[in-house]
Amino acid sequence: MTTYVYGIARAGTPRLLPDGLAGVGDPPRPVRVLRSAGMTAIVSDCPPGLRPKRRDLFAHQRVLTVAAAGGAVLPLRFGSVSPDDAAVRSALADHAELYREQLDHVADRVEYNVKAMHHENVVLRRVLDESPEIRRLNETTRTGGDATYQDRLRLGRLVAEAVRDREAEDARTVEEALAPHAGASLPGPEGTGRVVNVSYLVGRDEAAGFLAAVEELREASPQLDLRVSGPLPPYSFVRTEPAEVA
Amino acid sequence: MTTAVATTQPTANRAGGGGGSGTLYDVLELILDRGLVIDAFVRVSLVGIEILKVDVRVVVASVDTYLRFAEACNRLDLEAGPKKDPGVPELVGSVTESGARGKTKGALAGAAETISDAFRQGKDGESEGEEAEKEPRRTRRSSTSSRREKDAE
Repeated sequence: MTTYVYGIARAGTPRLLPDGLAGVGDPPRPVRVLRSAGMTAIVSDCPPGLRPKRRDLFAHQRVLTVAAAGGAVLPLRFGSVSPDDAAVRSALADHAELYREQLDHVADRVEYNVKAMHHENVVLRRVLDESPEIRRLNETTRTGGDATYQDRLRLGRLVAEAVRDREAEDARTVEEALAPHAGASLPGPEGTGRVVNVSYLVGRDEAAGFLAAVEELREASPQLDLRVSGPLPPYSFVRTEPAEVA
Repeated sequence: MTTAVATTQPTANRAGGGGGSGTLYDVLELILDRGLVIDAFVRVSLVGIEILKVDVRVVVASVDTYLRFAEACNRLDLEAGPKKDPGVPELVGSVTESGARGKTKGALAGAAETISDAFRQGKDGESEGEEAEKEPRRTRRSSTSSRREKDAE
């Protein structure tokens, strides 16, 4: 039976888990802990054929969220599976120092992920408002009449450029508004290009200030569709590759 | 099972969680792409998940994009004007009602769709029960995102 690993904490931590916490799988496998070298791994049996199903993603997230209420936890990436319990224990022992360092780093901090997209019409309105040339072309092309294909193309290109400028500008605005309220930030996984996709590491004590800054930003920037997720386990602020350990 | 999933949605329903408005869609990439990786462990297969790496950026330099932007501009209700900007909530409504199909929307809807696909792919062989879980969750989402999701279908 392989072992599914959710996260890693200090052995002193638990309060960590309430009884009967449900893990991945159907039926959900009970969550338990393994200890070694002063560290604790939060694990369950791994159901055969585990895939990234909605239910299991939730389970992973839930276990980490519940555990984090009892102390700092390093979240593992979804789907980390060890051949058996013994291999988990030896991984703990092998990298205990590294994990301790990282636990210190994320202690009492949570991740907030901020995504922003443009409300297209608000942005388009502003773009029109600011450029006589775009307004002229818009008038010409919307009434049909004399407008040529080239006119529409030219309008579209000018608008696209203006919107792109706005994206860059708004990305800076978000960064400037939120960075002061966070200890660290990291761009979200690549390839999801929005105006902004950034994760912030925020002290639990500072979360209220951070969220207030988000609200201010929301009011000041009606062109932005801001989506905030959190508090989350600090997924983005653990080192994804273990350092070479002597 | 339905209840369990609905009440444990990671961020949107945290009691006293303090303003988090995200959904599983928004954190999926973090759960799957971030977090500690330990060499000694293997990862379960994430077949189909790399399609998350869809670029939904608004601006792509192409004739197609230009024409869409021109269309979107033409469609704007200029009477309303920037001074009488309807504001965000109404705006979202009006966009939806007019069935606007700007590049933004199209691209975003496409991304949402691929994520849904990822879930579907992850669910093959699942019972009806799993499918049913989707509905209560949806109704909990903000009107903005549920509209968007609707558009994706």
